[in-house]
Amino acid sequence: MQDTIQGDARILKSLEVLCHNGGTVRHSADTFGNNFHWFKLDNPRLLVNAAEALRGVRARLCMISAYNSRQLGDPMQEVCYHFEFGGTVVNLTVTLNGEWPSVPSITTQFTNADWHEREMMELYGIKVANQPNPRRLFLDEEMDTGLLKDFVPLSVMMNGASSSDLWERILSDKGKKS
Amino acid sequence: MNTGNSTFTIPLGPVHVALEEPVYFRLTVEGETIRDVNLTSGHVHRGMEAMAMQRNLLQNATLVERVCSLCSNSHSFTYCMAVENVTGLVIPPRARFLRSLAEEIKRVASHLFNTAIQAHIIGFKSLFMHTMEVREMMQDVKETVYGNRMNLGQNCIGGVKCDLTPELFTYILGMLEKVEPAVEELREVFATNSMVVGRTKGLGLLPKEDALRLGVVGPVARGSGINVDVRKASPYAAYPDLKFNVITNDGCCAYSRTRVRLDEIFESISMIRQCCRMTPDGPTKAYLPQITVNEACARTEAPRGEVFYFIRTDGTDVPQRLKWRVPSYMNWEALGVMMRDCKVADVALITNSIDPCVSCTER
Repeated sequence: MQDTIQGDARILKSLEVLCHNGGTVRHSADTFGNNFHWFKLDNPRLLVNAAEALRGVRARLCMISAYNSRQLGDPMQEVCYHFEFGGTVVNLTVTLNGEWPSVPSITTQFTNADWHEREMMELYGIKVANQPNPRRLFLDEEMDTGLLKDFVPLSVMMNGASSSDLWERILSDKGKKS
Repeated sequence: MNTGNSTFTIPLGPVHVALEEPVYFRLTVEGETIRDVNLTSGHVHRGMEAMAMQRNLLQNATLVERVCSLCSNSHSFTYCMAVENVTGLVIPPRARFLRSLAEEIKRVASHLFNTAIQAHIIGFKSLFMHTMEVREMMQDVKETVYGNRMNLGQNCIGGVKCDLTPELFTYILGMLEKVEPAVEELREVFATNSMVVGRTKGLGLLPKEDALRLGVVGPVARGSGINVDVRKASPYAAYPDLKFNVITNDGCCAYSRTRVRLDEIFESISMIRQCCRMTPDGPTKAYLPQITVNEACARTEAPRGEVFYFIRTDGTDVPQRLKWRVPSYMNWEALGVMMRDCKVADVALITNSIDPCVSCTER
């Protein structure tokens, strides 16, 4: 992907301001010349400011993706919000940590964020502050929140992790005996 | 259940004769008139995104094509574009045209299926049978060209699997000669028949302001006068080279959404013809380069609207995250607006007007 800076310069500038203290900004384009802008915000609280700015240019929320950078079952570490306006995709990423363990709801700015927020609440256990409609979306009320986090892939179970633990224990026990 | 005053709550679904897939509506009604709609889904949630993160990039091309049957090609198409964006892979020009060709063939069949189901719900059995008969010609095209009626298996990372011979291009053009007048006839019936017009015109209103507020996509948005089409806004594959119009209709009702779909069939037929004549010679696939740590998005216009894919790679051939959002996901909430003040008997017809896909939505 080639580096490029195109799109509405005013909105991009206003989003860049939200990434000055530790955040990052990246611009890219696909081979057809469609632009993608990537903003990693300084903290999740700034999401509301960014959403306000995007609503001002009549952007549309396309999707929200929660993910982690380790194993599938680990707590989600980052949430990426994908918006579109004028054929350009704007991606806002926020990092979840001990200081900011939740994201604010952006349903006030984007009504269609409701389903996305409810989905990440129930499947990944992400806390969404001030979500006006925190009902289950897909999973039954009787099931635990963050159910997908509890999922242990068969490949992880069978990749020898437990065997390695056992082997190390045997070795350490052997060391104690001798 | 009586909820006080003169309103009652009626459960509808998840299994209902007029609904193609399981979804549960809790309707608050006053007599026969719907005052509020609550929707519950999740009956066919399969955890496919979790499955995708345990398979490698090549295996996932097969998996995502099975998210949905009618949009199957759009999923593999968008997924392959996302992988190509994340790895910087450029596909050959011939593959660009062959991808658009397959997509438009699927769009014609998908739109015909939706209009056929509309006739079925109305109770116009002969129109239902006739529309399915016309659609069957497109099914024949898919089976003859790709060897399959639903999952074409055409898209692969770096290009397409199935190259088309000049004879197959001629065959497709010949079939379009039969399909086009048949669809023209159908368009006339759906536009003027008193039974169809009587049941659909003014039904399931979604004003433009609500459509914008809810972020609806595809024919649902275009049927409310919103000019939104990824093929025009962010051209991909062969679309930068193809001539076509974005069809919109200001009616905001079930009738206008059907009109959009039927009119779009003619744009798709035109694009199929252009692809058959303009596809350049050359290779049909490029090879996957080294996978690095990166993230990328891709979006396409499926028959039901925008499909959005997000991928993150960590340098291995298994994606760290693969997430997608289907058009129906954005359109369900619009049913709350569309059904308000309508009759209970129209619920199935209004639901069909968003061309819903539950399997897609729930993954």
